[in-house]
Amino acid sequence: MNCCKHWINPIIVCAGMILSVSGFACGADPQQLTDDGANKRDPIFVEEGKSLIYCYDETPDFVRMMKMNMETLEIVEMFEDAGNHHHYEPAFSADGRYTCYTECTGNLTARLVIRDLQNEKPAAFITHSGRGGTRNPIFTPDSKTVIYAFAETGPQQLWSCNLEGKNKKQMTHSQGITNWPTVTPDGKRVIFSNSRENNYEIYSMNLDGTDEKRLTTNRLMDVRPAVSPDGKRIAFVSTRDGNYDIYVMNIDGSNVHRITTSEERDDYPRWHPNSQQIVFVGEREGEFNLYLLDIADDISVAAK
Amino acid sequence: MIDFGSFRAASCSGKTRRSFLKTSSIVPFALGAGLPSLQAVEQARQKAKAKSVILLWLWGGPSHIDMVDPKPDAAMEYRGPFGTIATKTPGMHYTELLPRMAARSDKYCVIRSMQTTDSGHPGAGTIGVTGFKESPGPVQPNFGAIIAKHRGQDELATTPSSSLPPFFYVGRGIPRDLPRRIEGYGGGTLGKAYDPFLVSCSDRGEVGIPTLKMLPNMSPKRISNRKDLLSELDVEQHRLEKNLLGQWGHTYQSAFDLLTDAKARDAFDLTKESPKTRRSYGHTTFGQGCLLARRLAQAGVPYIQVNWSEYVETFTPNGDFGWDTHIYNFELLQDRHCPIFDRAFSTLLDDLDDRGMLEETLLVAMGEFGRTPQISNRAAREHWQHCYFSLWAGAGIEPGRCIGQSDSKGEHPVTRPITPLMAGTTIAELAGVGAQQRAEMKVLDGGSLIDELL
Repeated sequence: MNCCKHWINPIIVCAGMILSVSGFACGADPQQLTDDGANKRDPIFVEEGKSLIYCYDETPDFVRMMKMNMETLEIVEMFEDAGNHHHYEPAFSADGRYTCYTECTGNLTARLVIRDLQNEKPAAFITHSGRGGTRNPIFTPDSKTVIYAFAETGPQQLWSCNLEGKNKKQMTHSQGITNWPTVTPDGKRVIFSNSRENNYEIYSMNLDGTDEKRLTTNRLMDVRPAVSPDGKRIAFVSTRDGNYDIYVMNIDGSNVHRITTSEERDDYPRWHPNSQQIVFVGEREGEFNLYLLDIADDISVAAK
Repeated sequence: MIDFGSFRAASCSGKTRRSFLKTSSIVPFALGAGLPSLQAVEQARQKAKAKSVILLWLWGGPSHIDMVDPKPDAAMEYRGPFGTIATKTPGMHYTELLPRMAARSDKYCVIRSMQTTDSGHPGAGTIGVTGFKESPGPVQPNFGAIIAKHRGQDELATTPSSSLPPFFYVGRGIPRDLPRRIEGYGGGTLGKAYDPFLVSCSDRGEVGIPTLKMLPNMSPKRISNRKDLLSELDVEQHRLEKNLLGQWGHTYQSAFDLLTDAKARDAFDLTKESPKTRRSYGHTTFGQGCLLARRLAQAGVPYIQVNWSEYVETFTPNGDFGWDTHIYNFELLQDRHCPIFDRAFSTLLDDLDDRGMLEETLLVAMGEFGRTPQISNRAAREHWQHCYFSLWAGAGIEPGRCIGQSDSKGEHPVTRPITPLMAGTTIAELAGVGAQQRAEMKVLDGGSLIDELL
């Protein structure tokens, strides 16, 4: 494995200046979890970190969801009944019983699937007429509600529904594109990105839509926020330093720091249940693999 | 075109002994109206340095606003969610999705005022690669077929044996949408002899010749000479309809020539490249396809069209993620399309430049149209034929310029519209197919050069 050179060391030179570091930005070198190099996305830990789900390009015309055993690194198909339907953006309820994901069902059409993993009863779906598709579904911590992004008849907003795919409610009423919801562990606030300020910024609001606060201020994208399981921090992706890199900030948007420095792409960060590690998709020399990076508590590497 | 089979070119063995092209008749000279001035033609010809043309065909219609022609000051419902970054060309910005290309804009030109006349994929696709509508027929030849015929004549006059087909498609199949393929994919009025020869390339750089899949027992090792090949054919003929075999014969002949041609095998063998070079293109089908295109150009192939995808649809079962982003436009550009394109285009440009090939290679990238400046009610963008972009590098073109301009919303050109016919005429001219030759072949009638580019 030759990935050490891309990672932050205690002293970092970036863009001609030495960035200040207090504490140790990263622990050991990141652990490379896959080596097939295929295009990957959407990793997420399940079963208390014992397994990792992700999606990858099995062929040029098929995206399959896989499950990795974190002890043995054995990888198996998540669903044998996927057929020829691309599967994207999986999420799992806190109790482990339900999963939801985006499924391509037809020409330029996708639906949200909510599936009970314990019972064989039929899955619930969020469908729609015509072209279009839902994006990035998640569960609330009480495992009773699914939040997702969808453009019903205009700007893409956040919506919610119950586990039967019913009782749909529009959560945001913003201009621009709204995407990538993530909920704090106490279930009180939803974090998301929106583009109304000319590019994607990250916002936080109560689940009822009140008390919205902007967490990032940058002229380039801040996307794919992921709240840590302990509720203290948010990992996200930004291009502010020239390409896709992963950053971490406090839950209130303070103390932003960059945790990957590769000149290639780092994307799709998700937290380990221990809140001390982040899994992500790293592009290294043109190949896409999953990496697991240790994150200490007191990182303070300056970021733009 | 028949899409069968594959093999690993890296393990081929055999010998070459046949030429690909046959002599074709010369069409009487007939200079048409609307051709460029003699002075312009002469000037262009003096700069005609393209021994090879590589067309990166961005099938499906990439969004100009979200890539190389951003409109950050337009209203919310137009401008899209992406920030902009400066390029190396003074005053020109791209979206943040193309950082590598922005850092190399001094090596190529951008045309922001492309315009076509059809809003459907097959129709606009045919216009995009022939310059003319599909109907009323007959379907005109692909730009590559024109150059193939011209080079075939030239080379037959000087070189009795030419081992490689002059016109390649690199990709999974003939570009199509779900209902049908485009009509303008091949020889058109010049005949099927000038159809492209299709080779596929996997994300690991394994090159396939789909034509050969119909022979399941066939392998480069097993089929080392024509006798073996014909024996296999005899067996397979029983399971093939005669008309299918007849249609396939020409392509099959070419496939055999390639299979037993050391030079061809070498061109297909991406393992001859250093691991660093292979990785630099990205391990995607498009990235490795671009590397294959460079090798084919290096081997002297006059025209290589690298197809981004076989299907236009960006998200559909069995689809291979074209640029037709009626849904998920912003997500897929951010997640998949632009990172792949940014890397592959930039690497190909650098590679051609580093090897000293750029002066004699014309690199063009374009799709069949752009996408609606106004964001749809599904938070995506639809077809937009009134304004889109193309990229041009090499073959003596002065790089680092932004040619043409669109209006404040990216809806229409405010400078002279540049059409696919003009693009094809300019490609032909730079590849040495001058006005007289075009007239003799009765192709690209009425086409004018993109003076701004030359």
